[in-house]
Amino acid sequence: MVDALVEIHRVLAPGGILVDARPDSRVPAYAERRKPRGFQRFGIVRTSRLELANDRDADRAIARVVRQRLFERRRSGRLWHRIPFGDLAQLRQYLREHLRFVHRAEWVVDRATRKRHSNDQFVIRRAVRYELLAALRSPRNISPA
Amino acid sequence: MSSVAKDSVGDLGRHVPALSSALRPHPDDELREWGGSRLVRGKRVLDLGCGDGRLALGVARFATRVEGIDPDPEAIAAAKRNARKAGVRNVHFAAGAAQHLLFPDAAFDLVILSWTL
Repeated sequence: MVDALVEIHRVLAPGGILVDARPDSRVPAYAERRKPRGFQRFGIVRTSRLELANDRDADRAIARVVRQRLFERRRSGRLWHRIPFGDLAQLRQYLREHLRFVHRAEWVVDRATRKRHSNDQFVIRRAVRYELLAALRSPRNISPA
Repeated sequence: MSSVAKDSVGDLGRHVPALSSALRPHPDDELREWGGSRLVRGKRVLDLGCGDGRLALGVARFATRVEGIDPDPEAIAAAKRNARKAGVRNVHFAAGAAQHLLFPDAAFDLVILSWTL
C-alpha cells in the first residue's frame, strides 16, 4: 500500500489532492426495515476480521506517508448510504455472500417480529469514510534556497 | 441519503455482485461530501481502482480529463462500455496497477482511491 501511495505522490502535482474513501469499519452497519416513513432498525452488521485487518493496514499506510511528509491531512468525514433489498431473505443472502461483513446480523428485534416483516423491503445502512490529503513537495523536489 | 437508497430496486443485493458499483454510493453523493464539483472542476483526475467507471464517469463532466486504472481487465472493459453508452469522451480507461503508473511526474491534480486501499 505504501508503494502505491508513493507512486500516487509522484504523479500528483504539488498541492494536488488525494481522496481516500472506503467503508468505515470503525462503526457497524445496520440492517433496517423500510417503513412508509423512515426505517426501523432490525439488526447490527459487523465487519469481518479480515476486512478490519485490511482497514488497519490501510490506515497505517496513510499514516506512514503523512509521517514521511509526502502528504498532509486536509479534511475527513463520513457519509452513510443504504443498500436496498426486496425482502429479509435477500438481505440474509447478501450477508452470506459478502466478504466485508460477518455473515449473520445481530438482531435487535425478536424472531416473531422478523417473521412478521420478512416480506418487507430492507436496507443495509453503512458508513463510508473519506479523507482528503494534499501532496507535499518531496524533499528531492525542493530546490535549494 | 444516496439516490441508490432512494430507488426501489428490489432484489439488487441478490443479483448484483458484491463488488458492483450499484452497491456503492452514487458518485454525486460522494463528490458532494468531498467538497463538491469545485474539487474536480478543470482538473486532471486519476481514478485508481476505477472498477466499472462509476466515479470516473461521475466526475468527468467537471474534469478536464479523467484516467481510470484498474487491475481487472473485465472491469475496464465494462468501464469502456459504460463510457461509450454515456457518450463521455474525456475519460480513458486502462488496466494497470497502482504501484506502477505509466504517467509522468505531476500529471494529475486529483487522485481518487475509492474503496481501493
